[in-house]
Amino acid sequence: MMTLENKENTMSRSGFARRMRQHENTPILLVLIVMIVVVVIVEFFLKGRVNFLSGMNISNVLLQVSVTGIFALGMTMVMISGGIDLSIGNMLSFLGTGMAYLMKTAKWGETETILIALVVGIGLQLLMGLIISRTKIEPFIISLGFMSIYRGFTYLITNGREITIIGKLEFLQAVVFRINKFVVTVPIVLFIVLTIIVALVIKYTKFGRRVYAVGGNENAAYLAGINVKNFKLLIYGINGLFVTIASMTLLARLGTGAPVMGFGKEIEVIAAVVVGGTAMSGGKGNVWGAVFGVLVLGIISNALNILGVSPHYQFIISGLLIIFAVVVGYYSGLRTVKRSVKKA
Amino acid sequence: MPAEVTSEKEGAEKMAPEQELILEMKGIRKSFPGVDVFTGFDFDLRKGEVHCICGENGAGKSTLIKILSGAHTPDGGEIKIYGKKVDNLTPRTAMKMGIQTIYQEHALYPLLPVFENLFAGNELGRGPIVSRSAMVEKSREVLKCLNSDISPYEIVGNLGSGEQKTVEIARAFIQESKIMILDEPTASFSQKETDHLLGLIKVLSREGISIIYISHHLDEVFKIADRVTVIRDGQKINTYEIADLTEQQLIKDMVGRDVSAFYQRECCTIGDVMYEAIDVSGKGVTHASLMVRSGEILGIAGMVGSGRTELAELLFGVQPMDTGTIRIRGKKVNIRTPLDAIVNKMCFITEDRQSSGLFLIHSIVKNAVIASYAKSKMPFARPSDDVKLAQKYVKAMNVVTPSVEQKVVFLSGGNQQKVVLAKWFATMGDIFIFDEPTRGIDVGAKEEIYKIMTGLLKDGKCIIMISSDMPELIAMSDRIMVMREGKMVAEVSRKDEICEENILNYSIGGGV
Repeated sequence: MMTLENKENTMSRSGFARRMRQHENTPILLVLIVMIVVVVIVEFFLKGRVNFLSGMNISNVLLQVSVTGIFALGMTMVMISGGIDLSIGNMLSFLGTGMAYLMKTAKWGETETILIALVVGIGLQLLMGLIISRTKIEPFIISLGFMSIYRGFTYLITNGREITIIGKLEFLQAVVFRINKFVVTVPIVLFIVLTIIVALVIKYTKFGRRVYAVGGNENAAYLAGINVKNFKLLIYGINGLFVTIASMTLLARLGTGAPVMGFGKEIEVIAAVVVGGTAMSGGKGNVWGAVFGVLVLGIISNALNILGVSPHYQFIISGLLIIFAVVVGYYSGLRTVKRSVKKA
Repeated sequence: MPAEVTSEKEGAEKMAPEQELILEMKGIRKSFPGVDVFTGFDFDLRKGEVHCICGENGAGKSTLIKILSGAHTPDGGEIKIYGKKVDNLTPRTAMKMGIQTIYQEHALYPLLPVFENLFAGNELGRGPIVSRSAMVEKSREVLKCLNSDISPYEIVGNLGSGEQKTVEIARAFIQESKIMILDEPTASFSQKETDHLLGLIKVLSREGISIIYISHHLDEVFKIADRVTVIRDGQKINTYEIADLTEQQLIKDMVGRDVSAFYQRECCTIGDVMYEAIDVSGKGVTHASLMVRSGEILGIAGMVGSGRTELAELLFGVQPMDTGTIRIRGKKVNIRTPLDAIVNKMCFITEDRQSSGLFLIHSIVKNAVIASYAKSKMPFARPSDDVKLAQKYVKAMNVVTPSVEQKVVFLSGGNQQKVVLAKWFATMGDIFIFDEPTRGIDVGAKEEIYKIMTGLLKDGKCIIMISSDMPELIAMSDRIMVMREGKMVAEVSRKDEICEENILNYSIGGGV
């Protein structure tokens, strides 16, 4: 058994390197770095040049991941608190096509459309949160039900057709600054700013600390004075906010409200969040991990495109890489556990 | 007559050469993160004997059982079964060798009839086709052999606690058990059920089955044991032939140094009435009233299921109260949720720290600060302050851990309990409800918890303490109230001679 002085000694000696080794985001960060290095080397040997690290490609990747990233922020909070939301992909289609319908067919203005989208998006998530928090039914199945409902409404709105909007929501496409071909647009800035806000909220507010408590042990959280039911409700409401923002952003980028625009998005987002170290069982995870997870997934598909891999192989390879990333995380987690057991 | 240690094989043979040893354990070592349970433990078992194991909570009895049943692998030492050395005992191989363990909680299928339970996993019949009639027939036979009149068709869930235990024993019997381990089988039994079970054990030992029997009830031990082994802090203190053993000797061996069982608490100045609950009713509790003064411990005694925990949950707002008034320092307060309770400076150390007290996958820091968040309306948290707060309590309570960032799941039971206490101390509460504060905690840590509780009293706080550990309750409480069937049936204060017999009488409602 260590004495107290001893403990403090080892603590101060440990320093940065050791803290990094034990940090929960280290595995995913390593995967990210290794992947970038591998892609650069492979591309260099195959093609003799490195387009992957060009300014244009980097801003391209960032733009592509920003929508998934904004989704992932909400999903991370939902999942840390012990929930899950399968409805977000179809909700994206519903909100996207709905907004397109309002602006194109009903000729609503941008501001009214955005406001009503926020009200509807947050409201529907609150409704789902109400059912999930007031019953003991698994959020998995409730959100699955909502998923199907959104899909149905999407088809009712669009009748299966795409709704093209021209000259709408252009502020969400605006260029913030550019350095040669490295272009930073509003979605990227939005993603970064929202990430920082969420990270700060999680770290420096009671609300943020309580997300972990609710996901870690609901019972104990209730006894520690947390109104668990309302807390979950709030989390889904916040998730609604992020879903709506992400939907607007994607609609602006595509310029078209397509029924299929969000299909499969929930799986992509959940995969990114879990690859980033958030536990499906709740109580564990963090926003930066999720951001790395989103980047890893985004870079996989981008790199495979650049390397000219056939889309059919892309699915197989990205599946294998996801499994690889999670397995790496699992084993490094085990190692940390063993080490701390030994210390105790 | 000298009580001879018979841990050595030669010793056993010298004393009873005709006795065949069925099981030997030598130099067993086992440790868990933070605690060494066994450091060289010896044990042996003769054919057809009833061998009782006595020891306090946390002495290592359950670890011993788990090693024998293959659930835990010892870190070192030797296990011989029928004289053959056995490595790598797993639950499967243990059962194959005829070691059957009957745990305190029932391990039956409550929705299935008795005969299905008896043959679950070992169905009679030919090939994949089971024969219900053969199983029913055999069930009848076995139950008759065990002097039981339970019908093979009865649904197990409808049986009483004692009958369910009989079914479990019958199941072990059918599977040709050679060694049967019974872990506190009579914990929630009536006297009649206990007598029946003890009779059953005699039958089994006559059939040549060796029995390891673990019980807190010393009278049972003296009724059925052939030999008794006393364990304390993972050490074998002695093995006695029952004829050589007196109750005084047994208690002395179990308790050893005079901690826990006869813990001497400092007296504190008792002040004004701090907390009153008047006529509280709700789930499992009817019209219970109590009062505690500052600097005082009110003990609550009663059998398992008498409504003690339910009462605590009502007081803390976990469950809604149907009727009842709560006064804190004379002022009426409304407590409908745990949040209300915390705001009114109440703290609730629950019975099951793992399921309702701790966030096991989180660090000590996260655990320690979470309840204190309920105290203020400010929305912000400062991680550096949180760490300082956690460090303060880790130091004050002497939690053994490499750092405050350690995940709570890796701490020992005693240290986990200290983290629960830290969580509540951080709320700066005044009224503490302790539900089984030292359950599953080793002896040394128990004493520390008692000291911490005494410290609270010195600061003018008050404590309501629920405990099934009678010596603990008697040593710590200033007054004891007894619950039975959801009602407060008696109050005994120190002068009225708080003693075990008295309290037991009230809690079982006996007129003895």
